Amino acid sequence: MSDLPMMHSRRQPVRINANLTPMIDVTFLLIVFFVLVSQIVEVENVQMQLPELPDPASDTPGEEQRVVINIKPALDSSDALEYTIGSIAFPPGEQSVPAIAQHLAGLYRKNPSLSVNLRADTHTHYTWIEPVFRAIAQGAALAGDETAAARVNLVIIPED
Amino acid sequence: MHGELSTTSAAGWLGPDPLADMPDADHRTSARRRHANRGSAVISLNLTSMIDVVFLLLVYFMTATNFKVGEELYRMDIPARGVAAAPDPFQLENEPLRIRVATAGRIDSAYRLRLEPATRQPANFEQLHEQLHSLHVDQGGWMVSDDPIIIEPTATTRWLHTMAAYNAAARAKYTNITFGAPGG
Repeated sequence: MSDLPMMHSRRQPVRINANLTPMIDVTFLLIVFFVLVSQIVEVENVQMQLPELPDPASDTPGEEQRVVINIKPALDSSDALEYTIGSIAFPPGEQSVPAIAQHLAGLYRKNPSLSVNLRADTHTHYTWIEPVFRAIAQGAALAGDETAAARVNLVIIPED
Repeated sequence: MHGELSTTSAAGWLGPDPLADMPDADHRTSARRRHANRGSAVISLNLTSMIDVVFLLLVYFMTATNFKVGEELYRMDIPARGVAAAPDPFQLENEPLRIRVATAGRIDSAYRLRLEPATRQPANFEQLHEQLHSLHVDQGGWMVSDDPIIIEPTATTRWLHTMAAYNAAARAKYTNITFGAPGG
């Protein structure tokens, strides 16, 4: 009987501590990852309605070096608002062909096997898209490298 | 008496009491209390609100990030216009097959197609695909896979219709498909 109060007094208060440092480390790394990825994706992946085609004979994107040209659609019309390559914007139409060609020529000189991904809205008229084809062909020719070929990847979405 | 005061402090310090030589007993007591309090002080940081915010940010970026889900590509080589390649004198010039496509209204199903040369004209992209398929040498036709096909949209042809014509030719296993200048 006399042991019971002694045992009770010897019992130490239990403190449960969780070491949160690794969790916070991992969480911050995830946040940094998503912030960076969302910025990169936003620059290359401009919001637009890509052509949705039934039963397409298209390929899935590979790991090749590529540059993305977005033809940004104008709001509520079939015109183009601007052409963008990364964060660089060009006014739409014929006037931008030399500037885009010069820009692409620089990229082709660095990497002759470069592919150009072309993203255009389903409603955009062909008159705004065709100058980009010419700019790509001129860019490859301006690069002065015989191995630089004007390769374009036309981006679509397969219909479900 | 000095031996009695040599006890363990709250900080776990063992050894002779540093306060033992102090002359006044009251001063000794208060100084010892301060010493003991200082030893047991625990500096803690409340991380709960920070973790809340961090998780909110994480959830936001996870849901707001759009990866390029489902996008696919047609690979096309653009011929250099205006640069004439040296003609091969032993090769017969291959007249390209031309697909003219025009948007004819605001709805997606409003378009016109014209195939040249052809004896009958396709009414829609599925018929265009079937005709191109039947022209292929594998199906008893006269065209091989790398025979040139030029898609000629008008200036106001929508990209959807242009790409649908391209898709019809690509599905029929043709590989040399290019786009022409915008027609009238």
